[in-house]
Amino acid sequence: MIEIEGLKKKFGHNEVLKGINMHVEKGEIISILGPSGSGKTTLLRCLNYLESPDEGQIVIDDVLINAHKVNKKDIYQLRKKSAMVFQAYNLFQHKTVLQNVMEGLVVVQKKSVNEAKEKALEVLQKVGLKNKIDAYPSQLSGGQQQRVGIARALALNPEVILFDEPTSALDPELVGEVLEVIAKIAREGKTMIIVTHEMNFAREISDRIIFMDNGVVIEEGIPQQIFTEQKEERTRQFLKRMTPELDYSI
Amino acid sequence: MGKAFDPILIIEFLPTLIKYLGVTLEIVFFSMIFGTIIGIIVALPKLFHIPIVRQIVTLYISFIRGTPILIQLFLVYYGLPALLSIWNIDITRMDALYFVIITYSLSHGAIFAEIFRGAIQAIDIGQTEAAYSIGMKPLQSFFRIVLPQAIRIAFPNMANSIIGSLKDTSLAFTIGVMDMMGRGETLISSTAHALEVYISLSIVYYVIVLVFEKIFKISERYFNRYQPHGISSI
Repeated sequence: MIEIEGLKKKFGHNEVLKGINMHVEKGEIISILGPSGSGKTTLLRCLNYLESPDEGQIVIDDVLINAHKVNKKDIYQLRKKSAMVFQAYNLFQHKTVLQNVMEGLVVVQKKSVNEAKEKALEVLQKVGLKNKIDAYPSQLSGGQQQRVGIARALALNPEVILFDEPTSALDPELVGEVLEVIAKIAREGKTMIIVTHEMNFAREISDRIIFMDNGVVIEEGIPQQIFTEQKEERTRQFLKRMTPELDYSI
Repeated sequence: MGKAFDPILIIEFLPTLIKYLGVTLEIVFFSMIFGTIIGIIVALPKLFHIPIVRQIVTLYISFIRGTPILIQLFLVYYGLPALLSIWNIDITRMDALYFVIITYSLSHGAIFAEIFRGAIQAIDIGQTEAAYSIGMKPLQSFFRIVLPQAIRIAFPNMANSIIGSLKDTSLAFTIGVMDMMGRGETLISSTAHALEVYISLSIVYYVIVLVFEKIFKISERYFNRYQPHGISSI
Protein backbone atom coordinates (compact mmCIF):
# COMPACT_ATOMS: atom_id res chain seq x y z
CA MET A 1 0.00 0.00 0.00
CA ILE A 2 2.95 2.31 0.68
CA GLU A 3 5.85 2.16 -1.72
CA ILE A 4 8.94 4.34 -1.44
CA GLU A 5 11.60 4.23 -4.11
CA GLY A 6 15.02 5.89 -4.20
CA LEU A 7 14.12 8.65 -1.78
CA LYS A 8 16.90 11.24 -1.37
CA LYS A 9 17.02 14.44 0.65
CA LYS A 10 19.80 16.94 1.27
CA PHE A 11 19.95 19.82 3.74
CA GLY A 12 22.65 22.03 2.24
CA HIS A 13 25.62 19.70 1.78
CA ASN A 14 24.37 17.22 4.31
CA GLU A 15 22.75 14.25 2.59
CA VAL A 16 20.20 13.02 5.13
CA LEU A 17 18.48 10.37 3.02
CA LYS A 18 20.66 8.51 0.53
CA GLY A 19 18.16 6.56 -1.49
CA ILE A 20 15.57 4.87 0.69
CA ASN A 21 13.41 2.01 -0.57
CA MET A 22 10.58 0.82 1.58
CA HIS A 23 7.39 -1.13 1.29
CA VAL A 24 4.51 -1.25 3.74
CA GLU A 25 1.48 -3.53 3.55
CA LYS A 26 -1.98 -2.43 4.59
CA GLY A 27 -2.46 -3.01 8.31
CA GLU A 28 1.24 -3.46 8.94
CA ILE A 29 2.96 -1.84 11.90
CA ILE A 30 6.46 -0.69 11.15
CA SER A 31 8.93 0.76 13.62
CA ILE A 32 11.91 2.70 12.37
CA LEU A 33 14.88 2.58 14.73
CA GLY A 34 18.28 4.18 14.51
CA PRO A 35 20.64 6.66 16.13
CA SER A 36 19.93 10.41 16.16
CA GLY A 37 20.65 12.00 12.81
CA SER A 38 20.14 8.76 10.92
CA GLY A 39 17.31 10.32 8.87
CA LYS A 40 14.33 8.48 10.35
CA THR A 41 12.34 11.61 11.17
CA THR A 42 13.17 13.18 7.81
CA LEU A 43 11.93 10.03 6.08
CA LEU A 44 8.67 10.21 7.99
CA ARG A 45 8.26 13.92 7.23
CA CYS A 46 8.86 13.27 3.52
CA LEU A 47 5.94 10.84 3.54
CA ASN A 48 3.51 13.70 4.03
CA TYR A 49 5.65 16.33 2.36
CA LEU A 50 6.47 18.41 5.41
CA GLU A 51 9.89 18.00 3.83
CA SER A 52 10.08 17.79 0.07
CA PRO A 53 12.48 15.07 -1.08
CA ASP A 54 15.02 15.89 -3.80
CA GLU A 55 14.68 12.61 -5.62
CA GLY A 56 12.58 9.49 -5.56
CA GLN A 57 9.00 8.41 -5.59
CA ILE A 58 6.31 7.95 -2.94
CA VAL A 59 3.12 5.98 -3.41
CA ILE A 60 0.42 5.85 -0.74
CA ASP A 61 -2.72 4.02 -1.77
CA ASP A 62 -3.68 5.51 -5.16
CA VAL A 63 -1.59 8.69 -4.90
CA LEU A 64 1.80 8.76 -6.58
CA ILE A 65 4.32 11.58 -6.20
CA ASN A 66 7.60 11.82 -8.01
CA ALA A 67 10.06 14.35 -6.54
CA HIS A 68 10.92 15.64 -10.01
CA LYS A 69 7.41 16.63 -10.99
CA VAL A 70 5.38 17.61 -7.97
CA ASN A 71 2.33 19.81 -8.01
CA LYS A 72 0.40 21.24 -5.08
CA LYS A 73 -2.67 19.16 -5.80
CA ASP A 74 -0.72 15.92 -5.47
CA ILE A 75 0.75 17.10 -2.18
CA TYR A 76 -2.72 17.80 -0.74
CA GLN A 77 -3.90 14.41 -1.95
CA LEU A 78 -0.90 12.68 -0.38
CA ARG A 79 -1.39 14.50 2.93
CA LYS A 80 -5.00 13.37 3.07
CA LYS A 81 -3.78 9.77 2.99
CA SER A 82 -1.73 10.12 6.15
CA ALA A 83 -1.88 11.80 9.54
CA MET A 84 1.04 12.72 11.72
CA VAL A 85 1.57 12.52 15.47
CA PHE A 86 4.34 14.93 16.43
CA GLN A 87 7.04 14.69 19.04
CA ALA A 88 6.03 18.12 20.41
CA TYR A 89 2.28 17.30 20.07
CA ASN A 90 1.67 20.52 18.06
CA LEU A 91 -1.92 20.82 19.20
CA PHE A 92 -3.67 23.99 18.09
CA GLN A 93 -3.13 26.12 21.18
CA HIS A 94 -6.17 28.35 20.70
CA LYS A 95 -8.62 25.50 20.29
CA THR A 96 -10.16 23.17 22.84
CA VAL A 97 -9.53 19.43 22.79
CA LEU A 98 -12.78 18.84 20.92
CA GLN A 99 -12.06 21.64 18.43
CA ASN A 100 -8.58 20.27 17.81
CA VAL A 101 -10.00 16.91 16.80
CA MET A 102 -12.89 18.40 14.81
CA GLU A 103 -10.81 20.92 12.86
CA GLY A 104 -9.62 18.61 10.08
CA LEU A 105 -12.97 16.85 9.84
CA VAL A 106 -14.83 20.11 9.26
CA VAL A 107 -12.28 22.16 7.32
CA VAL A 108 -10.59 19.49 5.20
CA GLN A 109 -13.09 16.65 4.99
CA LYS A 110 -16.06 19.06 4.86
CA LYS A 111 -18.11 17.03 7.31
CA SER A 112 -21.05 18.71 9.03
CA VAL A 113 -20.38 20.01 12.53
CA ASN A 114 -22.66 17.39 14.06
CA GLU A 115 -21.06 14.54 12.18
CA ALA A 116 -17.58 15.82 13.05
CA LYS A 117 -18.48 16.17 16.71
CA GLU A 118 -19.81 12.63 16.85
CA LYS A 119 -16.64 11.26 15.26
CA ALA A 120 -14.43 13.41 17.51
CA LEU A 121 -16.19 12.21 20.66
CA GLU A 122 -15.82 8.62 19.51
CA VAL A 123 -12.02 8.87 19.10
CA LEU A 124 -11.62 10.92 22.27
CA GLN A 125 -13.42 8.15 24.10
CA LYS A 126 -10.94 5.72 22.60
CA VAL A 127 -7.93 7.66 23.91
CA GLY A 128 -9.65 8.11 27.28
CA LEU A 129 -10.12 11.88 27.20
CA LYS A 130 -13.84 12.28 26.79
CA ASN A 131 -13.93 14.13 30.11
CA LYS A 132 -11.46 16.77 28.85
CA ILE A 133 -13.18 17.91 25.66
CA ASP A 134 -13.51 21.54 26.75
CA ALA A 135 -9.96 21.91 28.08
CA TYR A 136 -7.30 23.85 26.20
CA PRO A 137 -3.97 22.11 25.45
CA SER A 138 -2.14 24.26 28.01
CA GLN A 139 -4.36 22.82 30.72
CA LEU A 140 -3.36 19.21 29.97
CA SER A 141 -0.35 17.09 30.92
CA GLY A 142 2.09 16.08 28.18
CA GLY A 143 0.65 12.58 28.05
CA GLN A 144 -2.88 13.89 27.71
CA GLN A 145 -1.80 16.32 24.98
CA GLN A 146 -0.19 13.54 23.01
CA ARG A 147 -3.32 11.42 23.33
CA VAL A 148 -5.28 14.34 21.84
CA GLY A 149 -2.66 14.43 19.08
CA ILE A 150 -3.33 10.76 18.41
CA ALA A 151 -7.09 11.34 18.48
CA ARG A 152 -6.71 14.21 16.00
CA ALA A 153 -4.84 11.91 13.62
CA LEU A 154 -7.13 8.94 14.15
CA ALA A 155 -10.33 10.96 13.58
CA LEU A 156 -9.30 11.67 9.99
CA ASN A 157 -9.36 7.93 9.33
CA PRO A 158 -6.16 8.07 7.25
CA GLU A 159 -4.62 5.15 5.38
CA VAL A 160 -1.56 5.40 7.61
CA ILE A 161 -0.67 7.15 10.85
CA LEU A 162 2.87 8.45 11.11
CA PHE A 163 4.30 8.69 14.64
CA ASP A 164 7.36 10.93 14.98
CA GLU A 165 8.97 9.99 18.31
CA PRO A 166 5.60 10.29 20.07
CA THR A 167 6.97 9.78 23.58
CA SER A 168 10.36 11.51 23.40
CA ALA A 169 9.12 14.79 24.90
CA LEU A 170 7.28 13.12 27.78
CA ASP A 171 8.19 12.68 31.41
CA PRO A 172 9.03 9.01 31.99
CA GLU A 173 5.93 8.37 34.08
CA LEU A 174 3.68 9.61 31.26
CA VAL A 175 5.17 7.44 28.52
CA GLY A 176 3.09 4.41 29.46
CA GLU A 177 -0.34 5.94 28.91
CA VAL A 178 0.62 7.08 25.40
CA LEU A 179 2.17 3.75 24.39
CA GLU A 180 -0.95 2.02 25.68
CA VAL A 181 -3.15 4.11 23.37
CA ILE A 182 -0.87 3.44 20.40
CA ALA A 183 -0.96 -0.28 21.11
CA LYS A 184 -4.74 -0.17 21.30
CA ILE A 185 -5.00 1.43 17.85
CA ALA A 186 -2.46 -1.03 16.51
CA ARG A 187 -4.68 -3.93 17.58
CA GLU A 188 -7.50 -2.44 15.51
CA GLY A 189 -5.50 -3.03 12.36
CA LYS A 190 -4.49 0.54 11.49
CA THR A 191 -1.40 0.87 9.30
CA MET A 192 1.27 2.67 11.29
CA ILE A 193 4.83 3.81 10.85
CA ILE A 194 6.50 4.66 14.15
CA VAL A 195 9.81 6.38 14.69
CA THR A 196 10.76 5.66 18.28
CA HIS A 197 13.49 5.15 20.84
CA GLU A 198 11.28 2.88 22.96
CA MET A 199 13.00 -0.40 22.12
CA ASN A 200 10.80 -2.74 24.14
CA PHE A 201 7.67 -1.15 22.80
CA ALA A 202 8.89 -1.42 19.20
CA ARG A 203 9.76 -5.05 19.78
CA GLU A 204 6.35 -5.91 21.17
CA ILE A 205 4.13 -3.97 18.83
CA SER A 206 5.80 -4.11 15.41
CA ASP A 207 5.21 -6.50 12.57
CA ARG A 208 8.49 -5.39 11.09
CA ILE A 209 11.41 -3.24 12.18
CA ILE A 210 13.57 -1.08 9.97
CA PHE A 211 16.98 -0.06 11.23
CA MET A 212 18.44 3.09 9.71
CA ASP A 213 21.82 4.71 10.05
CA ASN A 214 23.44 7.58 8.19
CA GLY A 215 20.62 7.99 5.67
CA VAL A 216 20.32 4.38 4.55
CA VAL A 217 18.32 1.34 5.63
CA ILE A 218 20.87 -0.99 7.20
CA GLU A 219 18.64 -3.90 8.01
CA GLU A 220 14.99 -4.83 8.26
CA GLY A 221 13.02 -7.79 9.50
CA ILE A 222 10.64 -9.11 12.11
CA PRO A 223 11.40 -7.92 15.68
CA GLN A 224 12.72 -11.33 16.74
CA GLN A 225 15.32 -11.23 13.98
CA ILE A 226 16.38 -7.60 14.51
CA PHE A 227 16.66 -7.87 18.29
CA THR A 228 18.28 -11.26 18.63
CA GLU A 229 19.80 -12.39 15.32
CA GLN A 230 20.88 -9.16 13.66
CA LYS A 231 23.08 -9.62 10.61
CA GLU A 232 24.72 -6.21 10.70
CA GLU A 233 27.32 -5.10 13.19
CA ARG A 234 25.95 -1.54 13.30
CA THR A 235 22.49 -2.80 14.30
CA ARG A 236 23.99 -4.94 17.02
CA GLN A 237 26.04 -2.08 18.46
CA PHE A 238 23.08 0.30 18.43
CA LEU A 239 20.79 -2.17 20.18
CA LYS A 240 23.47 -2.94 22.73
CA ARG A 241 23.67 0.74 23.59
CA MET A 242 19.89 1.20 23.68
CA THR A 243 19.03 -1.96 25.62
CA PRO A 244 21.84 -2.48 28.14
CA GLU A 245 19.80 -5.06 30.06
CA LEU A 246 20.40 -7.49 27.20
CA ASP A 247 23.98 -7.71 28.46
CA TYR A 248 22.88 -9.51 31.58
CA SER A 249 20.87 -12.18 29.85
CA ILE A 250 23.60 -13.09 27.38
CA MET B 1 -3.20 86.68 29.16
CA GLY B 2 -6.82 85.58 29.51
CA LYS B 3 -9.38 86.53 32.11
CA ALA B 4 -9.38 85.47 35.80
CA PHE B 5 -9.53 81.70 36.37
CA ASP B 6 -13.09 80.45 36.81
CA PRO B 7 -13.43 76.76 37.76
CA ILE B 8 -17.17 76.72 37.00
CA LEU B 9 -16.32 77.22 33.33
CA ILE B 10 -14.49 73.88 33.24
CA ILE B 11 -17.80 72.12 33.83
CA GLU B 12 -19.70 74.46 31.56
CA PHE B 13 -17.37 73.85 28.62
CA LEU B 14 -17.60 70.07 28.87
CA PRO B 15 -20.93 69.55 27.00
CA THR B 16 -19.81 71.85 24.16
CA LEU B 17 -16.58 69.89 23.71
CA ILE B 18 -18.12 66.42 24.06
CA LYS B 19 -20.39 67.19 21.09
CA TYR B 20 -17.24 66.91 18.94
CA LEU B 21 -16.08 63.64 20.46
CA GLY B 22 -17.70 61.85 17.52
CA VAL B 23 -15.19 63.35 15.08
CA THR B 24 -12.29 62.18 17.24
CA LEU B 25 -13.69 58.65 17.51
CA GLU B 26 -14.39 58.62 13.79
CA ILE B 27 -10.74 59.33 13.06
CA VAL B 28 -9.60 56.62 15.48
CA PHE B 29 -12.11 54.07 14.19
CA PHE B 30 -11.45 54.44 10.47
CA SER B 31 -7.69 54.78 10.79
CA MET B 32 -7.70 51.63 12.93
CA ILE B 33 -9.64 49.65 10.30
CA PHE B 34 -7.61 50.89 7.32
CA GLY B 35 -4.40 50.72 9.35
CA THR B 36 -5.05 47.04 10.12
CA ILE B 37 -5.65 46.25 6.45
CA ILE B 38 -2.53 48.17 5.37
CA GLY B 39 -0.60 46.55 8.22
CA ILE B 40 -1.42 43.00 7.09
CA ILE B 41 -0.61 43.79 3.45
CA VAL B 42 2.64 45.51 4.35
CA ALA B 43 3.73 42.74 6.73
CA LEU B 44 3.48 40.05 4.04
CA PRO B 45 6.44 41.03 1.80
CA LYS B 46 8.73 40.93 4.84
CA LEU B 47 7.32 37.62 6.10
CA PHE B 48 7.65 35.94 2.72
CA HIS B 49 10.88 37.69 1.72
CA ILE B 50 9.52 39.06 -1.54
CA PRO B 51 12.39 40.98 -3.19
CA ILE B 52 12.07 44.70 -4.12
CA VAL B 53 8.58 45.03 -2.56
CA ARG B 54 10.25 44.15 0.72
CA GLN B 55 12.75 47.02 0.36
CA ILE B 56 9.92 49.42 -0.48
CA VAL B 57 7.85 48.51 2.57
CA THR B 58 10.97 48.66 4.76
CA LEU B 59 11.57 52.23 3.59
CA TYR B 60 7.90 53.13 4.17
CA ILE B 61 7.96 51.74 7.70
CA SER B 62 11.22 53.44 8.61
CA PHE B 63 10.01 56.78 7.18
CA ILE B 64 6.78 56.66 9.20
CA ARG B 65 8.64 55.72 12.35
CA GLY B 66 11.26 58.40 11.80
CA THR B 67 9.06 61.45 11.18
CA PRO B 68 6.59 63.29 13.46
CA ILE B 69 2.91 62.62 12.76
CA LEU B 70 2.30 66.37 12.49
CA ILE B 71 4.68 66.61 9.54
CA GLN B 72 3.13 63.51 7.94
CA LEU B 73 -0.23 65.23 8.25
CA PHE B 74 1.00 68.28 6.37
CA LEU B 75 2.78 66.15 3.78
CA VAL B 76 -0.48 64.35 3.00
CA TYR B 77 -2.57 67.53 3.19
CA TYR B 78 -0.41 69.47 0.74
CA GLY B 79 1.29 66.58 -1.04
CA LEU B 80 -1.65 64.39 -2.04
CA PRO B 81 -3.54 67.12 -3.99
CA ALA B 82 -0.27 68.11 -5.70
CA LEU B 83 0.43 64.50 -6.62
CA LEU B 84 -3.09 63.85 -7.92
CA SER B 85 -3.15 67.09 -9.92
CA ILE B 86 -0.61 65.43 -12.22
CA TRP B 87 -3.47 63.22 -13.41
CA ASN B 88 -5.87 66.19 -13.36
CA ILE B 89 -7.67 64.95 -10.28
CA ASP B 90 -8.71 67.83 -8.08
CA ILE B 91 -9.15 67.03 -4.39
CA THR B 92 -8.34 70.46 -2.98
CA ARG B 93 -11.98 70.89 -1.90
CA MET B 94 -12.12 67.51 -0.15
CA ASP B 95 -13.06 67.66 3.55
CA ALA B 96 -9.90 67.95 5.67
CA LEU B 97 -11.18 65.06 7.79
CA TYR B 98 -10.35 62.63 4.95
CA PHE B 99 -6.75 63.81 4.87
CA VAL B 100 -6.53 63.16 8.58
CA ILE B 101 -7.94 59.64 8.20
CA ILE B 102 -5.54 58.92 5.31
CA THR B 103 -2.54 60.12 7.31
CA TYR B 104 -3.45 58.17 10.42
CA SER B 105 -4.22 55.04 8.41
CA LEU B 106 -0.79 55.21 6.75
CA SER B 107 0.85 55.82 10.10
CA HIS B 108 -1.01 52.95 11.79
CA GLY B 109 -0.36 50.69 8.82
CA ALA B 110 3.39 50.97 9.28
CA ILE B 111 3.27 50.45 13.04
CA PHE B 112 0.77 47.57 12.85
CA ALA B 113 2.84 45.89 10.11
CA GLU B 114 5.81 45.62 12.45
CA ILE B 115 3.61 44.41 15.31
CA PHE B 116 1.96 41.77 13.09
CA ARG B 117 5.26 40.59 11.65
CA GLY B 118 6.72 40.02 15.11
CA ALA B 119 3.57 38.29 16.32
CA ILE B 120 3.31 35.94 13.34
CA GLN B 121 6.98 35.03 13.61
CA ALA B 122 6.46 34.21 17.28
CA ILE B 123 4.03 31.39 16.43
CA ASP B 124 5.73 27.99 16.53
CA ILE B 125 6.25 26.49 13.06
CA GLY B 126 4.84 23.25 14.49
CA GLN B 127 1.37 24.84 14.40
CA THR B 128 1.61 25.28 10.65
CA GLU B 129 3.05 21.79 10.19
CA ALA B 130 0.20 20.28 12.17
CA ALA B 131 -2.29 22.19 10.03
CA TYR B 132 -0.62 20.91 6.85
CA SER B 133 -0.47 17.39 8.21
CA ILE B 134 -4.24 17.23 8.62
CA GLY B 135 -4.58 18.39 5.01
CA MET B 136 -5.10 22.15 5.30
CA LYS B 137 -3.96 24.49 2.56
CA PRO B 138 -1.60 27.40 3.31
CA LEU B 139 -4.32 30.07 3.44
CA GLN B 140 -6.57 27.92 5.64
CA SER B 141 -3.67 27.26 7.94
CA PHE B 142 -2.75 30.95 8.08
CA PHE B 143 -6.23 32.30 8.77
CA ARG B 144 -7.53 29.50 11.00
CA ILE B 145 -4.43 28.53 12.97
CA VAL B 146 -1.63 31.11 12.83
CA LEU B 147 -3.45 34.45 12.66
CA PRO B 148 -5.82 33.91 15.62
CA GLN B 149 -2.82 33.09 17.81
CA ALA B 150 -0.77 35.98 16.42
CA ILE B 151 -3.56 38.44 17.22
CA ARG B 152 -3.30 37.48 20.88
CA ILE B 153 0.39 38.37 20.88
CA ALA B 154 -0.13 41.53 18.81
CA PHE B 155 -3.08 42.81 20.79
CA PRO B 156 -1.39 44.57 23.76
CA ASN B 157 0.93 46.47 21.40
CA MET B 158 -1.95 47.38 19.11
CA ALA B 159 -3.93 48.63 22.09
CA ASN B 160 -1.06 50.87 23.18
CA SER B 161 -0.72 52.22 19.70
CA ILE B 162 -4.45 52.94 19.43
CA ILE B 163 -4.44 54.83 22.72
CA GLY B 164 -1.48 56.84 21.48
CA SER B 165 -3.30 57.70 18.29
CA LEU B 166 -6.42 58.70 20.18
CA LYS B 167 -4.38 61.45 21.77
CA ASP B 168 -2.63 62.28 18.48
CA THR B 169 -5.99 63.06 16.85
CA SER B 170 -5.79 66.37 18.70
CA LEU B 171 -3.40 67.46 15.94
CA ALA B 172 -6.15 67.24 13.31
CA PHE B 173 -7.32 70.76 14.00
CA THR B 174 -4.03 72.12 12.61
CA ILE B 175 -5.37 71.47 9.10
CA GLY B 176 -8.78 72.80 10.01
CA VAL B 177 -10.72 69.77 11.20
CA MET B 178 -13.33 70.71 13.75
CA ASP B 179 -12.78 68.01 16.37
CA MET B 180 -12.75 68.49 20.16
CA MET B 181 -9.40 70.25 20.03
CA GLY B 182 -10.57 72.50 17.20
CA ARG B 183 -13.73 73.40 19.07
CA GLY B 184 -11.60 74.11 22.13
CA GLU B 185 -9.44 76.55 20.18
CA THR B 186 -12.52 78.47 18.99
CA LEU B 187 -13.84 78.52 22.54
CA ILE B 188 -10.60 80.09 23.67
CA SER B 189 -10.74 82.84 21.06
CA SER B 190 -14.37 83.62 21.93
CA THR B 191 -14.10 83.46 25.74
CA ALA B 192 -10.38 84.04 26.46
CA HIS B 193 -10.51 81.29 29.15
CA ALA B 194 -7.67 79.17 27.79
CA LEU B 195 -6.77 77.30 30.99
CA GLU B 196 -10.37 76.26 31.68
CA VAL B 197 -10.74 74.95 28.11
CA TYR B 198 -7.52 72.94 28.31
CA ILE B 199 -8.48 71.45 31.68
CA SER B 200 -11.86 70.56 30.24
CA LEU B 201 -10.22 68.96 27.21
CA SER B 202 -7.77 66.99 29.32
CA ILE B 203 -10.67 65.61 31.39
CA VAL B 204 -12.48 64.38 28.26
CA TYR B 205 -9.35 62.80 26.73
CA TYR B 206 -8.37 61.21 30.00
CA VAL B 207 -11.80 59.66 30.58
CA ILE B 208 -11.91 58.32 27.01
CA VAL B 209 -8.46 56.77 27.39
CA LEU B 210 -9.54 55.14 30.67
CA VAL B 211 -12.60 53.70 28.95
CA PHE B 212 -10.46 52.37 26.08
CA GLU B 213 -8.00 50.83 28.54
CA LYS B 214 -10.84 49.07 30.33
CA ILE B 215 -12.21 47.68 27.05
CA PHE B 216 -8.74 46.49 26.02
CA LYS B 217 -8.21 44.81 29.40
CA ILE B 218 -11.41 42.84 28.99
CA SER B 219 -10.55 41.90 25.40
CA GLU B 220 -7.08 40.84 26.47
CA ARG B 221 -8.54 38.51 29.05
CA TYR B 222 -10.62 36.94 26.28
CA PHE B 223 -7.60 36.52 24.00
CA ASN B 224 -5.63 34.90 26.80
CA ARG B 225 -8.35 32.40 27.69
CA TYR B 226 -6.30 29.45 26.41
CA GLN B 227 -3.07 30.49 28.13
CA PRO B 228 -1.87 28.80 31.30
CA HIS B 229 -2.73 30.81 34.40
CA GLY B 230 -0.25 33.46 35.43
CA ILE B 231 1.29 33.85 31.99
CA SER B 232 -0.50 36.57 30.12
CA SER B 233 1.69 37.17 27.09
CA ILE B 234 3.92 35.04 24.87
